[in-house]
Amino acid sequence: MRHPFSYLLLALVLGGVLSALSDRIDPYHLDVLIGVGINVVLAVSLNLIAGHTGQFSLGHAGFMAVGAYAAAAVTIFLGPHLIGDAPSPGGLAENALFGAALLGGGLAAAAAGLLVGIPSLRLRGDYLALVTLGFGEIIRVLLQNFEPLGGALGLNGIPAYTTVFWVVATAAATVFTVGCLVRSTYGLGFLAVRDDEIAASAAGLDPARYKVVAFTAGAFFAGIAGGLFGHFKMTITPSGFDFSRSIEIVVMVILGGLGNTFGVILAAVLLTLLPELLRPVAEYRLVLYSLLLIGLMLARPQGLFNFRPRSPASRA
Amino acid sequence: MPAPLLQLSRATVRFGGLTAVDTLDLALGEHELVGLIGPNGAGKTTAFNLITGLYAPASGSVAFAGRDLAGLAPHRIVAAGIARTFQNIRLFGSLSVLDHVRVAGNLHRTAAPWQALVRGRAFRESEAAVTRRAEELLALFHLDRFRDAPARSLPYGEQRRLEIVRALATRPRLLLLDEPAAGLNPQEKIELVALIQRVHREFDLTILLVEHSMRVVMGVCQRIAVLDHGKKIAEGPPEAIRRDPAVIEAYLGPEHATAVFHH
Repeated sequence: MRHPFSYLLLALVLGGVLSALSDRIDPYHLDVLIGVGINVVLAVSLNLIAGHTGQFSLGHAGFMAVGAYAAAAVTIFLGPHLIGDAPSPGGLAENALFGAALLGGGLAAAAAGLLVGIPSLRLRGDYLALVTLGFGEIIRVLLQNFEPLGGALGLNGIPAYTTVFWVVATAAATVFTVGCLVRSTYGLGFLAVRDDEIAASAAGLDPARYKVVAFTAGAFFAGIAGGLFGHFKMTITPSGFDFSRSIEIVVMVILGGLGNTFGVILAAVLLTLLPELLRPVAEYRLVLYSLLLIGLMLARPQGLFNFRPRSPASRA
Repeated sequence: MPAPLLQLSRATVRFGGLTAVDTLDLALGEHELVGLIGPNGAGKTTAFNLITGLYAPASGSVAFAGRDLAGLAPHRIVAAGIARTFQNIRLFGSLSVLDHVRVAGNLHRTAAPWQALVRGRAFRESEAAVTRRAEELLALFHLDRFRDAPARSLPYGEQRRLEIVRALATRPRLLLLDEPAAGLNPQEKIELVALIQRVHREFDLTILLVEHSMRVVMGVCQRIAVLDHGKKIAEGPPEAIRRDPAVIEAYLGPEHATAVFHH
């Protein structure tokens, strides 16, 4: 394998070039590009939890919400104290504040991930999925009733700090982190825990720890994605992070193939572009999603973009 | 006499009303090779699961190298130096043969997890050392030709061997083998006996072997303990066990008095 840093560098250069050219790109295309990047972060981070570690989670939008609100709170409430009321647009102070806000959002979501990771030690399969689903709903209902952050009306007036560079850089960092982690000796443990917990502990691995690490790290990146999303849309509402948002991310991971980072990236790109292309039939989107998922489970249960041969009893 | 490496003292495991392991006393000295036999349902695998921390004793104790194992999670017991294989092979469905051995090298990995992101020299050296050690082990057991194959694609006998290699990669002092001869043909059993003896000798290990195949147990063990209904009914060298009336009765019922272990 080529040195992983070269891919990271390549992605950052690409982000820089796109950012420099952003004045000349059609704003609609730029918006779509940012949407694609945010979804790549979400899908690849969920893939660490659900794909590599096998902890099926239906609460990824909940982590995203925690990150979005925490990051927005930093820029809205702390921003004016830190960098003044009228910083130069796109300047260093503004970007430094945004970086700190994203980090804050990521850490807040990671804390939530830690909290959800703990029940995952006792639950598996459907039961864990239900707990994570419940977590997502609890977050949404809490935010709906928390007036300081806008309540059900949502939080408005978030500064538009998200640029194509931030998004590409975050996506690259997420792919790099997850990719390097699961290829290392340490990270093989995620796959071992997914395949057989008892055998994993017989190999000296602590399954509980791996699961909590996966939830925490996955939630961290979902939180950053939430921060990017909030500072892109400039307004966030609790209902934007509902169950169907979680399902969208789950579909990306399953379509790409659980545990297959490259496939999951492709699926995230495809499933972000598809609704744009299907705008004329937008009201049937969820129907299409469901049909897609059912067809996929029948025809290619290993994922649409998973080209590795399926081992005969890989889920035994 | 030096203190035993593994000591079960009146260890008992209960499942509801069933006593699966009943006040079992068993001591293994350093570098011994001991067999644990008994009819189906005698409690052999339960005893293994007790030693490896999958079950907690209802009463009694398990001590390893002078340390009580009570309350230790299974992975901590592996770290303390006890590795095992499983009666029903438990390999990782998505890992290659090499990665099975690499992942078991985690206990002896020198780089912290986050160093995978910095990829400095310490990380690269740690990874190279783990891989090198895994490759050496595979070569030693003639599994290197399957290095990159998915473990599930291996022939049955090789899967059993890979499980032993994975256990050895944790660098145990005590190795528990749970019916390693199950499902092997006579030729493979002969090879297995040689393999167990070689592992015992070259890795300076203590081995506890649960086995149904008398040919294997009688062939390799220095001492044999016999379980029936969770209780130890005999213990001694193979020749004595072969003639022990209580053992013959446990296996075949009182009406079979013939020496059954001779073939």
